[in-house]
Amino acid sequence: MSMQASSDLTQMSDSDGPPLLVARGVTKTFEGLVANRDIDFDIPRHSIVSIIGPNGAGKTTFFNQLSGVYHPTSGTIEFEGTSLSSMAPHLVATLGVARTYQNIRLFQNMSVLANVMVGRHVRMHGQWYGAIGRLAGIRREEDDASRHALELLELVGIRRSSADDLARSLPYGDQRRLEVARALASDPKLLLLDEPTAGMNPGETRQMTDFIARLRRDLQLTILLIEHDMKVVMGVSERITVLDYGEKIAEGTPAEIRANPRVIEAYLGKQASA
Amino acid sequence: MPTRTDLRSAVSAGLVAGVVIIYLMAVGIAAVFSERQVVTGYLTLGRVMLIVPALGVGYLVAGRSGSALSRAVLALVAGGAAGGLFSAAFLASVALSPGIRHVLIRIAAPLLDFIGFADLGFDPTAGAALNLALTAAVALSAGLVRIAPAATRRAIVGGAGAILALTMLEPFLRPRLLSFGFSDFARFTYVSHGLSVTSAAATFAIGGLLVGFWPRTRGKVRATLAAADPGTRSALRWAGLLLAIVFFYTLPWLSGSFLTQVLVLVGFYVLLGLGLNIVVGYAGLLDLGYVAFYAVGAYFTALMTSPTSALGWGLNFWVALPIVVLLSAMVGLFIGAPVLRLRGDYLAIVTLGFGEIARVLLGADALKPWLGGPTGILSVPPMIGGGTYTLPIIGEVTGPAATYFPLLGFCLLAAFVAHRLKYSRTGRAWNAMREDEDVAQATGINIVNYKLLAFAIGASVGCIGGAIYATHLQGVVPGGFILLVSITVLAVVVLGGMGSIPGVIVGAFALIGLPEMLREFAEYKLLVYGAVLVAVMLLRPEGLVPDASRRAELEEARGGDGPDREPMLEVISGDA
Repeated sequence: MSMQASSDLTQMSDSDGPPLLVARGVTKTFEGLVANRDIDFDIPRHSIVSIIGPNGAGKTTFFNQLSGVYHPTSGTIEFEGTSLSSMAPHLVATLGVARTYQNIRLFQNMSVLANVMVGRHVRMHGQWYGAIGRLAGIRREEDDASRHALELLELVGIRRSSADDLARSLPYGDQRRLEVARALASDPKLLLLDEPTAGMNPGETRQMTDFIARLRRDLQLTILLIEHDMKVVMGVSERITVLDYGEKIAEGTPAEIRANPRVIEAYLGKQASA
Repeated sequence: MPTRTDLRSAVSAGLVAGVVIIYLMAVGIAAVFSERQVVTGYLTLGRVMLIVPALGVGYLVAGRSGSALSRAVLALVAGGAAGGLFSAAFLASVALSPGIRHVLIRIAAPLLDFIGFADLGFDPTAGAALNLALTAAVALSAGLVRIAPAATRRAIVGGAGAILALTMLEPFLRPRLLSFGFSDFARFTYVSHGLSVTSAAATFAIGGLLVGFWPRTRGKVRATLAAADPGTRSALRWAGLLLAIVFFYTLPWLSGSFLTQVLVLVGFYVLLGLGLNIVVGYAGLLDLGYVAFYAVGAYFTALMTSPTSALGWGLNFWVALPIVVLLSAMVGLFIGAPVLRLRGDYLAIVTLGFGEIARVLLGADALKPWLGGPTGILSVPPMIGGGTYTLPIIGEVTGPAATYFPLLGFCLLAAFVAHRLKYSRTGRAWNAMREDEDVAQATGINIVNYKLLAFAIGASVGCIGGAIYATHLQGVVPGGFILLVSITVLAVVVLGGMGSIPGVIVGAFALIGLPEMLREFAEYKLLVYGAVLVAVMLLRPEGLVPDASRRAELEEARGGDGPDREPMLEVISGDA
């Protein structure tokens, strides 16, 4: 299995320069409990890749190491040649990695527009003393940021008229979209989406996957999806990595994954016993 | 007709109101206020206190769904229950009178005479019956007000509010009216410290009309303003600003020395509230030791400006101030650094500890050579020219007014800075941190830096308050920097609405100014604070003047940099 995986890897990387993100031998343990064991993982530029696996397979733990929330116990993660292995989350964001959350985590008591503008934080430079003096540069930066934020709201499909509503007052689907807009506001190179269709009906799920495909195309983004529902990622991703019990058990194109006996076992075995 | 459950809950609400009335009687609030006239010869403030719970419960109970009749019945039932309990307790107190005085020292003969209408020649039984009837009638009328159409309701509440306000202002308003030559008007309005029947009626009518028609007028004004061209609107704004300046400039002269002293006290809490609002309201760091910064500012100022201090430099206040601010910001960082990793309750407890440490250190024997121990540091010179200076138009300024003007200036400055920070990258980063620290960090916000910045700016504002305080009292003693100051400032922020600048101002006037209007309150101040805070948290948790960030941010987003869209503070800064 690993032979097959590594041959695919070479094939993909050749097509579009060096990968954007390279993880090697990533292991993460929590007080002896192994959440991720020796995972190799690449994200080629301008690709959509997915990590799937049953609940508790270690997907979110891995994901959190990519965004700097956790640091690997051993192994390395490099983003465009810079090591993320011991970098603080706010610096990871500065490099161009943005994320959304499985259970929506907006700034609930801030306006919709302010949520997106916070997302822009790393691309702005205004300091507190500049804000007090309201220098010309600061004003311009603020105006640009709010204009940019409104454009992003339009892009993700939130009505302009709700820009000044509190984030918590948005309907569920719009809250998911707002999270994406907030992530996009930082002009990320890599967008990490943690179960972006959780809690959505089939129609909304379909819309969201179309939207993800469009994002990559229009914004030249690289996207990593995490899902536990295999069906969602089949249509949209080029490559899929499957985790089970913290280990990578398969990697390949959707067709290969669908036919892979270990994946079927991991999923059907779980479902049968549950 | 009301349902059984509704009736039952009306009775229990009424009994709760009855307990509150008995409590007000037993702790002596009714007695203290029985001297204060509302409508001379007819109504005292003490009586008002005794009927307020009935008013409240009648109003509340009549808010249930159902026909007007059934709602009125509910109000009457609740009032009856409250009045029944109250009258029974009154009769019991009369019967046991000399005995229970050992336990409930406030229940004395004069109070019982007052409650039982002995001045009208009533015996206790008749007094109790009258109280029962009165309480029930009051609850019923409150219920009827609730049932009445909105405009009527607003008018009645407004009229009653106007009467109360005019009564409370009497000790300050009447002398001022007399000294400005409006003695006829004063004689018409007030009869021996209360309103006359005629003036009460007139006040009720005027207040009622104003408040009753207010929503309609406001709508019209807004519509006219929206229709006006930008030039006119800008002119109106400038006119409004000019009026505000004239008002605040002449306020000490208009209000006299005692009210100015109250204004200065309110001003200190506005300034402290604005500073704490940055830490708690913007950045969400619950700081219960804010008094430490107030103390640091006051003591540093005293050390540097007082010729008798250990340093003995005797610096001018304005020379010392920048140094004091810098030192305090450093103390803010010093206190902020160890608590960076703490969140919520833990942060509150640790900062509470810091506040107490500051207080203990100030009074400590070990530091006596520098800080003066319990006696503090004296002979701090006034801020400007020996405490007396001359201003154009209003002439010589002295006493509390000498503090009022610089304090007002610093309050405006703090409000301006707070406003600018709020709608900036910094303010948004603070808010994001308050909402969700992990997500804020993942969005690229360096939470360590932003927490320290909030502490440092909050500390600087607090220390300016302390510096002015030291010059105002011309000395510092450790007794002025107790935990209660921290708690009061926090209460001001919470009452006004976290993160809201106008909220801090309203909160300071309500919590600091109002109790000064009612000197009799002094004894019960904390009791009332507690009750008010609980009530606000239950009924209006977002505060009296909630944060209007949504509106302002929308304006910002729509490219509102034209002069007609600038908020008031931009105009003050002069760069609009």
